[in-house]
Amino acid sequence: MFSLSVYCRLPTDTTMSLDKIGQDEWVAQVEARRAARGPLGRVLARLEAANPFVVGGLLFGLAALLPLLTSNDYVLRIAGNVCLYGLLALGLNVVVGYAGLLDLGYVAFYGIGGYGYAMLASNQFGIHVPTPVAVLVVVVLAALAGLLLGLPSLRLTGDYLAIVTLGFAQIFVLLTNTLDKASVPWSSQVVNVTGGPNGITAIDPLHLFGWELSGVGGYFYVLLATLALVLLMLRNINQSRVGRAWRALREDTLAAEAMGMPVRRLKLLAFAIGAAIAGLSGSIFAAWQTAVFPQNFDITLLITLYAMVVLGGLGSLPGAVAGALLLSVIPELLRGPDTARLLFYGGVVAMTLLLMKPRWRGVALLVAVLALGLVVRLAATALWPQALGPAPAPVSSGLGALAQRWLIFPANATLAGNLLFVLVIGLLMIVSRGRRPGVRFVLLIPSLYLLAFVWETRLAAEPSVTRLLFLGAILVLLMTYRPHGLFGKPRVEVV
Amino acid sequence: MLELLNVTKRFGGLLAVHDLSFAIDAGEIVSLIGPNGAGKSTVMNLITGIYTPTSGDIRLNGQSIVGLAPDAITRRGLARTFQSLRLFLNMSVIENVMAAAYPRTSAALWQSILRTPGFRREEARIRAMAEAKLAFFGTRLQGYRYDQPAYSLSYANRRRLEIARAMATDPKLLLLDEPAAGMNPHETEEITHLIGELRDRGGYTILVIEHDMGLVEGISDRVIALDYGEKIAEGSFHDVATDERVIEAYLGRRAVRSRQ
Amino acid sequence: MEAFLNQIPQQLVNGLTLGAVYALIALGYSMVYGVLQLLNFAHGDVYMIGAFVGYGVLTALAPKSGLLAPPWAIILLMLLAAMLICGLLGVVIEWFAYRPLRGAPRIAPLISALGVSFFLQNAVLLILTANYRTMKTELLLPPRMGLDIGPARVSAVRLLVILGALALMVALNALVRRTRLGRAMRAVAIDREAAGMMGVDVDQVIVATFFIGSALAGAAGVLVGLAFTQVWHYMGFTAGLKGFTAAVLGGIGNIPGAMLGGLLLGLTESLAVGFISPTYKDLIAFVVLILVLLIRPTGLLGARIQQKV
Repeated sequence: MFSLSVYCRLPTDTTMSLDKIGQDEWVAQVEARRAARGPLGRVLARLEAANPFVVGGLLFGLAALLPLLTSNDYVLRIAGNVCLYGLLALGLNVVVGYAGLLDLGYVAFYGIGGYGYAMLASNQFGIHVPTPVAVLVVVVLAALAGLLLGLPSLRLTGDYLAIVTLGFAQIFVLLTNTLDKASVPWSSQVVNVTGGPNGITAIDPLHLFGWELSGVGGYFYVLLATLALVLLMLRNINQSRVGRAWRALREDTLAAEAMGMPVRRLKLLAFAIGAAIAGLSGSIFAAWQTAVFPQNFDITLLITLYAMVVLGGLGSLPGAVAGALLLSVIPELLRGPDTARLLFYGGVVAMTLLLMKPRWRGVALLVAVLALGLVVRLAATALWPQALGPAPAPVSSGLGALAQRWLIFPANATLAGNLLFVLVIGLLMIVSRGRRPGVRFVLLIPSLYLLAFVWETRLAAEPSVTRLLFLGAILVLLMTYRPHGLFGKPRVEVV
Repeated sequence: MLELLNVTKRFGGLLAVHDLSFAIDAGEIVSLIGPNGAGKSTVMNLITGIYTPTSGDIRLNGQSIVGLAPDAITRRGLARTFQSLRLFLNMSVIENVMAAAYPRTSAALWQSILRTPGFRREEARIRAMAEAKLAFFGTRLQGYRYDQPAYSLSYANRRRLEIARAMATDPKLLLLDEPAAGMNPHETEEITHLIGELRDRGGYTILVIEHDMGLVEGISDRVIALDYGEKIAEGSFHDVATDERVIEAYLGRRAVRSRQ
Repeated sequence: MEAFLNQIPQQLVNGLTLGAVYALIALGYSMVYGVLQLLNFAHGDVYMIGAFVGYGVLTALAPKSGLLAPPWAIILLMLLAAMLICGLLGVVIEWFAYRPLRGAPRIAPLISALGVSFFLQNAVLLILTANYRTMKTELLLPPRMGLDIGPARVSAVRLLVILGALALMVALNALVRRTRLGRAMRAVAIDREAAGMMGVDVDQVIVATFFIGSALAGAAGVLVGLAFTQVWHYMGFTAGLKGFTAAVLGGIGNIPGAMLGGLLLGLTESLAVGFISPTYKDLIAFVVLILVLLIRPTGLLGARIQQKV
């Protein structure tokens, strides 16, 4: 009927110890202990148990110091993006995580926010509405659109709702692409509404309290403050009658109705609040970028947002922000070859040491891999000297140079890299799902060696592809390792 | 308090309930019995608004509730439990009960966002109410249990939590759909006692659907027997249990003959 | 007006071709959904891999010096190779990305599926680069070959797509209705747990379902590659979306529904292209979908589930 998976909260009261609680209670908390197992689980359990205001305040305080520590626009832009994605993920979390409605049209509200602000504050129609009014109008507009899209949700459920909302998103992108030549009924006039593929440019920046916001740092602060406010607002809603009612109707709509909850109104409210948050984010985004284009609001963004929310843990507020942080920072780190290399080799070493048990096995494995490389190199010196180099993409110094002096490279390294890439994926899949530790250990030695080879020949050469490749792999691995996401509570589902 | 007047429900060609009339007075405990497929659950779903009757009228406190949505009916003072147990499994025990206070609370969204004093008072009130409802069941659903997810409860505790949740909507009339299903004899005895308590201490009027005749005998002021969607007997437990048509419905015609 | 009417038969043929392909993709979605209630978002990328396998076989067997085998044999080989490799790929994806997530919240495998999709797309991008490949269909089926049915012209390639898809669907239908495996699949679709208790090897059925569904996607990839000649790493995305739409249109989890949904979607799109505007073909397809769902909330042939209380 239903499958039980793991969870319960750890006791927040740290004075509670084994001998003070009853046997029943100890038994009842078995799942909490299970969830807190493993290095990741321990850290997350400790974070969960801490006072959210202290942890949150500390993190936001640290984040607010960032513009003082660096004036690097690139770093601040990423930090701003983290906040922006965090906001979007929080809004999506209301609809999907709280109310349990599979809404695939969410990015359209972000788009309505962006385009709405752009039309109200640019030369597109020559209107320049003051910022607070424009943002307010846009948020209300997005919320109304949310209500409109929410209407079919009263009749459709699950995957059927998903496809209808997806259609809504597709139609939105299509219209923004084609409404640069909208014909007015009963006249031959053609109006440029959305700018088509060229988008709307030269959008006014935000004017707040008599200041014109400029520079990445200013927008970072606006986004950070908005994120904090929205987070607080959603926490308060979650712990109120409306929050409880949302979760109740996610769990069992019929029972919620039988307990007197106005299901239709609650669903519409979830859609409207989610859409309002997306609209707000969209207007800040438009002002920050000073331009909006149809592809800013396409389905790739939707997928990324879903990944963030689910990775962080559906229905968890810190989870949504953590997911946004992870999925916007990791791809950035993989962008530069040096940081990517550091992340790659560091990641492999850290994973080996953390996941292999007992610990000495991990160390032994790394030593064995290093030794394998040296043996292969020695053998090559004797038998196949032309394979000693040069590397396909030589690096002068650092980790890369070291790695390339450890590996060997045959003449057509690219082809070999491509073939071995497929082989390594297969090997690693077998290793990660294999049952017998001995076999896994032995298989891992060549796998890691070949992985380094593939990295140096192919992956490091194509950073933009590698980023997405790793993103995909991380999604699969994290979901299979922790299906309920980082901060999510494992759920029981009634099938 | 509750009146069914000539209620009929058809599913396509199937006549699930036929021309059924009965009434429940305030303070009564009435049991609805009948063999499997007699239409008991359909009656329950008709009263709670999950189905609408094909014809006939259902009145709560003299007002027709036909055509109202289930949540509207609940707000008028009627709550139910489910035979198949439909708890909000991933919510904590206390949250299950507090969530059901929704129709009896009024804090607006902005109040809960700003945590106004009014909101805080209301939260404290429903928290106390939820603890009081759970206290009906002794210590089983108290203390550390408050914050445990509902799915971690045993079967019997889930049934108890469902009753507590129904009580939290502040009903006048409680509809219990097979409250003893899946319980052992000891637990059934306890639930028998509890249903009496619900009336005496809680002040609820109660309609029970039940298969367990021991329980029905123990609690009922009045018993109504259904077969093929029609009322075949009504009266005290003894009268109904010895009624020929009831025995026939349960055991077949031969059983009636062998008794004669 | 006359020009309009003259267009109808040709657009019907186009729609039928497109619809046959959508139906093949939708079948894979629907079958997997039927047994696992899982939206396999990596399905479109399996189809893309199928197209590349077909391209590889064709390139290997049709060097500049001439064909190494008769055209029909090459086409057959392309289809078989793509179906086999895609089927195996589907099985591997199930084993690696979905099996550990059985019993997890329904959305978790969805994200895992997206991860697989990203991974496959970019692995192909890494190994085969972003270049469009052009399938040399004209070597196998010359463009002038074909049938004239009234004002409509059905080229040999389109005929191949329609008939090939039809044959596969008939075969699948027979498999599901008449064989032991088909019976087991239907049992698992209705109640996985109960089927397991009745001695059905559920894992085996799921593996078989993934194999068959992915093989169909592979075949669809080859057929589309032959008909529209262009093959590239991102082609799976739109196709997957269309397949999903078609599956939902027909009632997801329902095999005849997927076929009907695919055909209907293809016809709607090509008629929209012919009579309204190519720009709005996706919009019209979605409007039709939304209208159908608002009238029948569980798709055209989807079961109306009466909730038991």
